[in-house]
Amino acid sequence: MNIFERFVAGWRKYRKPGYYDDFDYHWTMTIDLDRCTGCSACVTACQAENNIPIVGEKELARGREMQWIRIERYWEGEYPNAKLNFIPMLCQHCDAAPCETVCPVSATYHNQDGLNAQVYNRCIGTRSCAVYCPYEVRYFNYYNHHWPTPLEQQLNPDVTVREKGVMEKCTFCIQRIRQAKDHAKDDGGRRVRDGEVQPACVQSCPTEALTFGDRDDPESKVAEKMRDPRAYRVLEDLNTDPSIVYLKKA
Amino acid sequence: MRVSIVPTLKVLRPAAMIVLVALIGMVFGYYANAMLFPGTSPAQPINFSHRIHAGDYEIPCLYCHVQARNSTAAGVPSLSKCMGCHAEVATERPQIRELTAYWETGEPLRWVKVHDLPDFVHFTHKRHVAAGIECQTCHGPVETMDVVSREAPLEMGLCLECHRENEVVHGDDCWTCHK
Amino acid sequence: MPNVDRRQFLKLVGAGGVGAGAGFMLAESARHPVEHLIPYPVPPEEYSAGIATWYNSVCGMCPAGCGITVRTREGRPKKIEGNPLHPVNEGRLCALGQAGLQVLYNPDRLTGPLQQLGERGSSGFVDATWRGGLDAAAERIDAARNAGNRVVFLSGGVRGHLAALLETFTRELGSGQFLQYEFAHPHALHAANRRLFGIDRLPYYDIANADYVLSFGADFLNNWLSPVNYSLGFGRSRQEGEHRGRFVQVEARMSLSGAAADEWIPARPGTEGVLALALAQQLVANAYAGDDADAWRAALQDYTPERSADITDVPVETIEHLASALVDAGHALAIGGGSAAAHTNGADTLLAVNALNYLLGNVGRRGGMVFNPDPAIGASDTEPASYRAMEQLAADARAGAISVLVVSNANPLFNLPAAADFAGAIAAIPTVISLSSFMDETTALADLVLPSHTYLESWGDDAPDPGVGFTVGAVSQPVVSPLFDTRATGDIVLELGRRLGLGEAMPWPSFEECVKDGWRQLHAAGGEAAGDFDTFWRDVLRSGVWGTDTRAESGVAVPDEVIADIAVPEPQFAGSESDYPFVLQPYLSTGFYDGRGANLPWMQELPDPMTSVVYGSWLEMNPETARELGLRDGDLARVTSGNGAVEVPVVVYPAIRPDVVAMPIGQGHAGLGRYAENRGANPIELLAPSVDTRSGALATGATRVSVAGTGRRAEAVKIGGESRELGRNIIQRTGTSGSAGHSARLNSIPIVVESS
Repeated sequence: MNIFERFVAGWRKYRKPGYYDDFDYHWTMTIDLDRCTGCSACVTACQAENNIPIVGEKELARGREMQWIRIERYWEGEYPNAKLNFIPMLCQHCDAAPCETVCPVSATYHNQDGLNAQVYNRCIGTRSCAVYCPYEVRYFNYYNHHWPTPLEQQLNPDVTVREKGVMEKCTFCIQRIRQAKDHAKDDGGRRVRDGEVQPACVQSCPTEALTFGDRDDPESKVAEKMRDPRAYRVLEDLNTDPSIVYLKKA
Repeated sequence: MRVSIVPTLKVLRPAAMIVLVALIGMVFGYYANAMLFPGTSPAQPINFSHRIHAGDYEIPCLYCHVQARNSTAAGVPSLSKCMGCHAEVATERPQIRELTAYWETGEPLRWVKVHDLPDFVHFTHKRHVAAGIECQTCHGPVETMDVVSREAPLEMGLCLECHRENEVVHGDDCWTCHK
Repeated sequence: MPNVDRRQFLKLVGAGGVGAGAGFMLAESARHPVEHLIPYPVPPEEYSAGIATWYNSVCGMCPAGCGITVRTREGRPKKIEGNPLHPVNEGRLCALGQAGLQVLYNPDRLTGPLQQLGERGSSGFVDATWRGGLDAAAERIDAARNAGNRVVFLSGGVRGHLAALLETFTRELGSGQFLQYEFAHPHALHAANRRLFGIDRLPYYDIANADYVLSFGADFLNNWLSPVNYSLGFGRSRQEGEHRGRFVQVEARMSLSGAAADEWIPARPGTEGVLALALAQQLVANAYAGDDADAWRAALQDYTPERSADITDVPVETIEHLASALVDAGHALAIGGGSAAAHTNGADTLLAVNALNYLLGNVGRRGGMVFNPDPAIGASDTEPASYRAMEQLAADARAGAISVLVVSNANPLFNLPAAADFAGAIAAIPTVISLSSFMDETTALADLVLPSHTYLESWGDDAPDPGVGFTVGAVSQPVVSPLFDTRATGDIVLELGRRLGLGEAMPWPSFEECVKDGWRQLHAAGGEAAGDFDTFWRDVLRSGVWGTDTRAESGVAVPDEVIADIAVPEPQFAGSESDYPFVLQPYLSTGFYDGRGANLPWMQELPDPMTSVVYGSWLEMNPETARELGLRDGDLARVTSGNGAVEVPVVVYPAIRPDVVAMPIGQGHAGLGRYAENRGANPIELLAPSVDTRSGALATGATRVSVAGTGRRAEAVKIGGESRELGRNIIQRTGTSGSAGHSARLNSIPIVVESS
């Protein structure tokens, strides 16, 4: 291999999403907008699972909400033909994520599973990532949040409680993924099966609009849903290569 | 007119000396605290000796810390576990009398944590036991200790070094431990 | 060595000393706080530190009766999910159900019995003991019983053996009366089913297998009857059938279900039944071929599309295309309830909707409505109290006929209109005992508070209603040991029973035994094949649910005289159109249901799905109406009815009829703890005491109001920004939107990488 080929190979590798030749798993979520009713069960599921603080009315009025998944709503038309469309919006786990390139301390990076990771203990709170995120799904802890006793007993011990000055966002319920991998390892080191791990939002969805799995497994449910002609990704023209695939509303 | 900094320095020298001595004192005080009260071997409610149990009698670690095999936490044995033996064994020793008192009042023992990780680290005993890592690798030669003290620093470098040495698959991904 | 004089030397020594001290303290402050490891003296059998234990139980947040699975760690519940084995919700759970944890861990829970020493409603509550509290309660009940005065037990909706126990308790008291008041109970639907089919049960709607759903006012995807079950069905009907199921919603204000519909039809409020009959008329004229076709034809002849269009404000073409869609669909299903039933003609409207189902031939069929069998456990004779019954109760109280009122899990002061004057009724009752877990509005007026466990701490059982068309029973088991000095409602009643000498009729030492005993009988009815009880019981507790799994198809008949009588009378509204130009439509909110969720911070912070408002109340009005009134989004408006007035910010809502304004129910609490208190306004207060004539239920949508600006602004806190997409093409539709470039782009970048 001459120096030119080495350079090209290196450059290609650099251009790969997350600098990985291959993802180990490629976790992906599909959201069927034709099924989503906007009922918000996913929002509460996420709050309960991920120790998302109670922000309070005052802070919410200043736009400092913390919900990692939110329901966006867009009106269309006027009465009597008005329509309201919902879209659940959460971290898109972009494979070419703008937030990753901008973090000065690499507190957010791409991991081997195609996940956009956020490391709280590394974050210094520049909030640059939130500025760069076109989906606006990164949330900043302006304060140390408190849970009036005994509400703190609800906190999930598998998830870190974030301190002030730290950015946070959807992790695809990494604690559940880790646990599924742990079980898979116990079970003779097999791979995680399709459907074995479900983030809290997917688990709770009453209309089964959300599906989660490894898109590299062609047999998986998400791979099947992604082959649906209705599949699209939000703000695709930004080339962020999101891992959330929406299915169009009919 | 020429301006010289030297006279100013001369005037400032005593003040600089004071600051310097104070700083040296501060470093000294900091390390004195760490040396005098290391916190690596805190006093426990009962003087339980790992040397006698794990050393002399060679009781395996997992006999008492049962959950290390299948849980994130190794688990401190319940009082009922202690009393399983000590209802019969060495009942006259003062420490065992104390233990029996706890048992009889039903009051739980409040052990002081020696090996404590920050809350943003999610370590799992199970995986490490399953991988055949000796307990002593991180906990030191506990079987020789009368009072358990923390030998390893339990900082991130230690984890990463070991993960790299043993070529843990994706073992240096941050989300392995931080989540 | 510099020349150090004595003064300088002392300075240096001082500096060194202070520095060392500072360093020492710095090290001390940087020290990791001491943490303790506190093992159980004797650990529970299934306990192990660091490992989650899951328990199956029953959700107690709304009357749907979903099965839940609670994840506990170190003996504390951490997460509530749906029980995958439970046929009602199949592992799914709504937002309110998941927030049940915050009922358990609520910082404003009552931690022990209280006794009011001062005036009623004052802050004179002092801590009491259980023994003292129970003695006092038993003494007052005993005195009332001996004097031949009435003792009323008023509870929220209860089912299973708790309902049976409360019934026994009040019956044995002789002078006792047991009332269940559930604000959103579908009285009108019961009345309609009773009249049309002679069946006093709620139906199961097989939405999953229906390919055309026509809903009249029922917000079945949000909080109507069994929303999680309906949502499951909706998702499957949409995307899992042979072809995509269609769904049409008829209502005056677009609900969450209306937003999910393919077509939303804003009929004039209270005329939904007329639309149903117009469709029925079309069906009979064009497609129906039953034996009783002539009877139907005669009964429906007045409901021509033209006349109905006049009444309902729905164009003739729409009526005709709906009718032909119903005929063409393989399995068409009509659902009625919610806002369509909230009028003085509510039961008649639902009767019309049911008639539509009958004419479509889907009653008792797949993809239609199937009537639920009788509940297997705790069959209760007590019908939930309608508004009329509550009015009667209040009147009796004011007449001095009631001497003890026990309130459990109900908050009539919040859930009844001010016009009912329940506060006045309570003032006339000498003894009020509350078994609530919270200091709600009603409990604040109690003389004695004996706080009960939350549902996560209690034993219980349930037969979900509406179920899923076959027999289902579920056991609710405690998933955590009680956090506070509270007791289960059943245990309190048993304890009172013992003190009152009712031990013979209620022989159980605890409510757990009562439940178990009931299930023992159920098991015994299964005969030999059922195996031994302990195994059966353990299996039921493990799976959390028990029952059959097949739906029996059956037909129904409608008597001719009922057909002949079918009609939807004109709805009556309280208040004249000139003084009160708008119909007020209060609706159950997503997070708070009928107000019970207002003390849960997660629910307060859950943006309302339609408007994204958090922490407050608001008034929804059509943009046109707002313009006419000179109001903008965020202006504080005064809403006045003949029965009161409230001030709330305006939210301009594009999908509501111009002659209707809407307000969510749930806020406006005077009690219930720090998260609920003094926030927003309660639209129930404004309601006139009109009832649905057939069922006696409160006609919540039958009050007219006037709206005027106050000149002040009070913007509701909204989450999220722009309410329109502005060409960003975020939500795409098949065929209609998305530039060619978008889909081509998607096809050119394979997002599935097949593994080699």
